[in-house]
Amino acid sequence: MSDQSTPSKNGFFLKANRITKVYSDGTVALKEASLEIRPHEIVGLLGENGAGKTTLTKILSGLLPPTRGRVVSPKGPVRFTSPREALDFGIGMVHQHFALVGTFTAAENVTLSHEQPFTRTRIAETQQQLESLMEQSGLHVPLDVPVEKLAVGEQQRVEILKVLSRNVDLLILDEPTSVLTPLEVDELFTLLRRLKNEGKSIILITHKLKEVGSITDRVVVLRHGEMVGDVRTAEASTERLAQLMVGQALDEKADAVELSTEEIPTKRVQQEIDRSGAGTLHVENLVAKGNTGEIAVNGLSFDVYGGEIFGIAGVEGNGQTELVESLTGLRVPASGTATINGTNILGLDPRQIYRLGVAHIPEDRWELGLVLPFTLAENAILGVHRWEEFRGPLTLLRWGKINQHVRRLMDRFDIQATGPSAPAKSLSGGNQQKLIVGRELAKDPAIIVASQPTRGLDIGAAHYIRQTLLEMRDAGRAILLVSADLDEVLAHADRVGIMYEGRFMDVCTPDELDRERVGMLMGGATGKEGE
Amino acid sequence: MSQNETTVQSRLLRGAHRTLTGLHPALESILAAIVGLLVGAILMSIYGFDPWKAYMGLVKGAFGGSYEIASSLARATPLILTALTFSICLRSGMFNIGAEGQMYMGGIASVLVTYFVLPTGLHQIAGLILAGLAGAAWGIVPAILKVTRGVSEVISTIMFNWIARWLALYLAIYVVVDPLRPEKTLSIPMTARFPVLVRGTDLSYAIFVSIAFAFVIYFLLWHTAIGYEVRAAGLNPTAARYGGIRNRRTMFLSFILGGVAAGLAGATIVMGLPPTYAIYGGGGLPQLLNMGFDGMAVAMVGRNHPIGILVAAVFFGGLNAGGRVMQFYGANPVPLEMVRVVMGAIVLVMSIPELIRLFPMVKKQAEGLIGWLRRATRRTEREESA
Repeated sequence: MSDQSTPSKNGFFLKANRITKVYSDGTVALKEASLEIRPHEIVGLLGENGAGKTTLTKILSGLLPPTRGRVVSPKGPVRFTSPREALDFGIGMVHQHFALVGTFTAAENVTLSHEQPFTRTRIAETQQQLESLMEQSGLHVPLDVPVEKLAVGEQQRVEILKVLSRNVDLLILDEPTSVLTPLEVDELFTLLRRLKNEGKSIILITHKLKEVGSITDRVVVLRHGEMVGDVRTAEASTERLAQLMVGQALDEKADAVELSTEEIPTKRVQQEIDRSGAGTLHVENLVAKGNTGEIAVNGLSFDVYGGEIFGIAGVEGNGQTELVESLTGLRVPASGTATINGTNILGLDPRQIYRLGVAHIPEDRWELGLVLPFTLAENAILGVHRWEEFRGPLTLLRWGKINQHVRRLMDRFDIQATGPSAPAKSLSGGNQQKLIVGRELAKDPAIIVASQPTRGLDIGAAHYIRQTLLEMRDAGRAILLVSADLDEVLAHADRVGIMYEGRFMDVCTPDELDRERVGMLMGGATGKEGE
Repeated sequence: MSQNETTVQSRLLRGAHRTLTGLHPALESILAAIVGLLVGAILMSIYGFDPWKAYMGLVKGAFGGSYEIASSLARATPLILTALTFSICLRSGMFNIGAEGQMYMGGIASVLVTYFVLPTGLHQIAGLILAGLAGAAWGIVPAILKVTRGVSEVISTIMFNWIARWLALYLAIYVVVDPLRPEKTLSIPMTARFPVLVRGTDLSYAIFVSIAFAFVIYFLLWHTAIGYEVRAAGLNPTAARYGGIRNRRTMFLSFILGGVAAGLAGATIVMGLPPTYAIYGGGGLPQLLNMGFDGMAVAMVGRNHPIGILVAAVFFGGLNAGGRVMQFYGANPVPLEMVRVVMGAIVLVMSIPELIRLFPMVKKQAEGLIGWLRRATRRTEREESA
């Protein structure tokens, strides 16, 4: 461990002083939040969606100006009007969505980010700088391969290199683990520890309590824009943090699956399901190609029976998207068969498939699930807009009945909005997702294909949606649950298929799996020959 | 106390913000019109005209009396329809620049009613149907090219405009030509003409065709499942596909409807424009020229909403009608071209996307500048005192 080399007479590197942020639409994102960042420290910034984590870090990294309050360095107040100024000061942020040019190599991407002339010599210089930087930090990335050919974890490392190459002292990472396999997460954490020992400060935004416990030194908890806790990790229990994060009012929801790190609750009502014969959804030797023509789904066969949840776990990008799209008519598979209650569905378009009793909760709610400029009511009939219930002669829409239907949905699914004519883009992420779930379940489906149904939602909304899915299962519906959230799949599925490069590594009940084995299967290693 | 003030203030701000965003589209159009008129005024004063007098003349010439209003409305009649052509297709996510060509085909097709005899009423309807079909036929080809061969509809509709223009000219000069007066086509028979609405003006009953079509389109888009599909496909094609909407179908439908609208526009000009009720070949179809392109400007100012288009078309019709008066106005003869400059400026301003949003940006820059100045003065003060 090196000693205090950073110039910090007062013992801190940067301080956020009673920062308030009010967005132009009147939303108060932060209320007098204060945060002190010291060298040699990893701070976990914990909070639900919309708690103000991202707003705070955006203010620190110069993306947003604070409404009130200021950012203070040991030398006095600082004011960044752009991320570049913050970078020059020594603050760098790695965003959740990478900003990389896919066809460029890592060296080229880093050169590009330096905003200097993009010349051959400059790239070569950067390459050298990166090589020595990789030597120092132990962070290794192939430098001369186009980044689109790299795994997600490697791309993230390129992003980190990009920031480190600017010699930053404070590194801010926004939910860095959401796209990584368990092994990649371990590697990332090793790297972060090493950087910490070199004297850097690190802010880690997360809503996973487990990560907080394993890597951070200090945890700062935000709730509704207010700082509700600033504790040393060693002194904080998981239960306490969870309580801080969701608040007292949500206490009954505090036992939601994400919060329990030790044990996965098995609330499953074990009912016997007859698994002989073909299931409600029967898939055999399904092969589907991805957007670039590569084989994405490679000969999958499985059945989903009524009354069970069949979970598909795996790191994103291993063919889950293509599988779901093939089953819901959005993608034409290359070969294989898929039937729903005996009817072949391959080659049918979405409308015909919905008619067979399929509900589809899509993975991308903004691109696929909703027409954002449409109102709540218009979105609530997407896909069912031609149903007799909503349509009179000459395809006239019965807005009266539609609005009634929407009010029922808002009631039943607890959708917070001003009314049926509120634009969908004005809703929060959780309410948008509830709208989609409500719309799909209102179809009274025989089979539900749910893809990442709780991604990006706060604990309350996620819990509610999971509960709804469990109810549908108990009502005898077949559910295909695809999720990158391993805990979610393991906690709710009756059977799990672990998907890697378009194939199932294993299909079994969650009880037969421990996390290590799942982690290895997700990374493509079979149990026996694993590291 | 101060807490209270801030909440009141923020509530007021929020209210003002909501009102502004609600009126946003209309405000943008009005602002664009004002800026366009200002640009025209500046140009006029550069060339030594009195812009105030000129605009008084323009307004008087456009809306100064029943005759003026009638001629403004008469000029608005085809513009409503060609604007709808652009708007319907834009609502379904396509850029249909082909209203001009589709309108030529509709105009020529409506001349064909001279070849058969029908009672009044039926004869007009026959003409409208012919024009609508011709416009739709002309509009559907780019749609087919787009679906089957992936040809950009922008390119193909522009090229089809030229084909239509010379084809229409050829037909007007050689095929449906008046044997006694080779500079014009056969005149529409009395039974097929739209009667004049206000005596002594060129405003005919054809305007009701335009208004009715605008309302039909409004109703279709916002009150039927078909229109719902068109709008969904236009706003988010991926989500539309997910919703079981067949995007090809909505695309074809919008091009057909757009073609019908443009074809009808041609018919309203030929069958509803006294005194000739014919197309003049000389000078390259002067009555029809640019009606399709002007329609795109109307659609933009009308924010691609049928009701907005009705208002915007009357505004543009007024500019056209009043512009003629402006050039004869006393000692201040502003050339007619100035009106087109104003129109051009309006379109340019409209095409600056999200105009209103520019203002927060300007505000932000100004705030940054003030903050920097303040900090700089403070720094110098500190240095001086030190």
